[in-house]
Amino acid sequence: MVLLDHIASGLIFSSIIILGSIGLSLVYSIADFANFAHGDTMTVGAYSSFVTFGAIGGLGGAVLGLPLGFFVALLAGIAVAALVAVITEKVVYEGMDLDSIGMLITSIGIAFIYRAVVQMWFGADAVRYDIQALRPIEWLLPYDVRVTEHDVAIVISAAVLVTGLHVLLQYSDLGRKMRAMADNPDLARVSGIRTDRIKLWTWVIGAGLAGSGGVFLGLFNLLRPRMGFDLLLLIFAAVILGGIGSVYGAMLGAFLIGMIHELTPLLSQLGAVLPYLPDTFGLPIGNQYGSAIAFVIMVIVLLFRPQGIAGEAV
Amino acid sequence: MSAVTRARAHWADLTRAERGVTWFVVGFAALLLFGLLSGALAPTYFLYLVGIAGMYALLSFGLNSQWGFTGLINFSVAAFFGVGAYGTALMTAEGSPLAGGFNPLIGLVVALVLAAVLALLIGIPTLRLRADYLAIASLGLAEVVRTIVKNEGQWTNGTAGIRGIPSFFEGWPVLATFPESMPGLEIVVSPGWRTTFTVPVVDVGLEFVIPSSTLLLGTSFWRALLNVALVLAFVGLSYALLRRVHRSPWGRVLRTIRSDEDLARALGKHTYSFKMQSFVLGSLLMALAGVFYAHLNLFVSPGDLDPITTFYVWVAVILGGSGSNRGALFGGVVIVSIREGTRFLNEFAWIPVDVAPLRFLMIGVLIVLLMRFRPQGVLPPQRELIWPTAVDKAPSRPDSGVRDVKAGGGDE
Repeated sequence: MVLLDHIASGLIFSSIIILGSIGLSLVYSIADFANFAHGDTMTVGAYSSFVTFGAIGGLGGAVLGLPLGFFVALLAGIAVAALVAVITEKVVYEGMDLDSIGMLITSIGIAFIYRAVVQMWFGADAVRYDIQALRPIEWLLPYDVRVTEHDVAIVISAAVLVTGLHVLLQYSDLGRKMRAMADNPDLARVSGIRTDRIKLWTWVIGAGLAGSGGVFLGLFNLLRPRMGFDLLLLIFAAVILGGIGSVYGAMLGAFLIGMIHELTPLLSQLGAVLPYLPDTFGLPIGNQYGSAIAFVIMVIVLLFRPQGIAGEAV
Repeated sequence: MSAVTRARAHWADLTRAERGVTWFVVGFAALLLFGLLSGALAPTYFLYLVGIAGMYALLSFGLNSQWGFTGLINFSVAAFFGVGAYGTALMTAEGSPLAGGFNPLIGLVVALVLAAVLALLIGIPTLRLRADYLAIASLGLAEVVRTIVKNEGQWTNGTAGIRGIPSFFEGWPVLATFPESMPGLEIVVSPGWRTTFTVPVVDVGLEFVIPSSTLLLGTSFWRALLNVALVLAFVGLSYALLRRVHRSPWGRVLRTIRSDEDLARALGKHTYSFKMQSFVLGSLLMALAGVFYAHLNLFVSPGDLDPITTFYVWVAVILGGSGSNRGALFGGVVIVSIREGTRFLNEFAWIPVDVAPLRFLMIGVLIVLLMRFRPQGVLPPQRELIWPTAVDKAPSRPDSGVRDVKAGGGDE
């Protein structure tokens, strides 16, 4: 079945988008602006782990085809992305007295700065982790599913991170404070919550998750200075589709957007998938339109449900 | 009153920012003149730069009438620019996969109609939404347009682009052959032309030596001159038009929407339709810039729809001052200086990095610094009747009568 293979790669791509969209949604609801630098935060995370991995090497051992050094590099990527975001918040955003639109425009400038620094350092060409590419897992091949152990590692890691975030938000003190602040910042403040501290934690968590998403994106494709900015639109589409301000909506939106993106190639071979149609039937839409289709679907949903799937009324 | 006193009175009227900008413009013009005379700047290239600056001014006007006056965050400037350029290219070029060979005036009309249709397509779903949704949706739809132009080769020639676009005046009575029929001029700046400035107080001799150079003004020069005349006409017309409409009752409604959309609605205005009109108007100006670009460059490719153009125009508008058209003009010139000036940086060996990311860095730092220290821009609009700060921080006692305020001056 061709369909199964596309669903599998949709699942992998969704995991990467989920990691990006959670952070964007958190920052959107707590710092109250659309952060256009979020995609480039992913790039920063990816390149930091690239440098770390190059410096420490594999460190022996292997989990799912990935050497232990890669996981250390992953942690380094998360840490650097979070650190960069906190520094940006302290140096740039904190002292600003602007509405959310002004902050949005500022974040575009920040995005350019991140990307320019990465490109100056590493050049515009794509690089890749020094990890042996794997063959698809043997026992899945009879089902036409071509998935490597690396892909499995991406999905499992994303699941672990998302579960961790869920536990943090629902059961920890910090999570309760964050939800309170997202709901009503002024009320949270007069209740004695130190909102500026919560905001910093939001940046750490959001940018950290974005950094991990960048690392996995680099593993899934290659590392390019533009990788994050190119993915940003899909992440925004996911967040808006799910409903701004709802982390779980963002997860759902990311899952849908990732699936739509990876299922787009099926449109040109509809006949092979759907019954009752001739096998050669297909729409003339190639896989280069994956992002475009995902985006148009988001706009159509907004027409009928402006608050998104899980969002509250605007 | 003599001309001198009038000029002095005018000077005294200017704000500090306006004086600074005036000095900057004078200095910049002097620098350009020096470059021209010394032969460092070829006249044809200079005219090309003026054309590009005019093009950015048009784009900034377009964005200004959307963002500056109505508060619509449009991140699809590059798409409208590209649709304008592709619209006329497809109609007029020899290498066009669709029609080709039409008069550029028909190309202009087709490009504007295409841009208006695209503006409606983008505006209908997004203008009802929150402001930040419009930003994201318009950026995404611009990417959709770029993907289509890049991949639908049977209509647009794909990544190969469209070649063989005629000049805008092709097929016009006199202007079509004007560059060829003009005689070639030769201006010789002689080597003996040596000027010495001495500052008497500190007794430091400053010597400017203009090296011998010959300026050849041939066909390409006259062609470039024609293009500059065209863009100046476009810019002048749009400036006059925008000035007129923004002083009209229609323009006042737009500025009310920008300040407080609920207020405008409470006053019985159909804000969605006003926003749509403003969006289409701005998009038409952007497409006009695209039309000019296609006939200046004589070649268009999907690279012209790159989102970076959008952000260049945004920087120009924010730098100049949102809502101020002369600010947009100023911002357009500065952006061209950054874009073209950084090209020469590669010639300096001591700069260890590639110029492309350096340009990104400069744009990024410029945005952040502006938003941090002067979010209203260098030349913010003045004497506005309706403005957010006018509502929030209105003085308790006016320093002039209401009648004076209402009668006084223009909108800027």
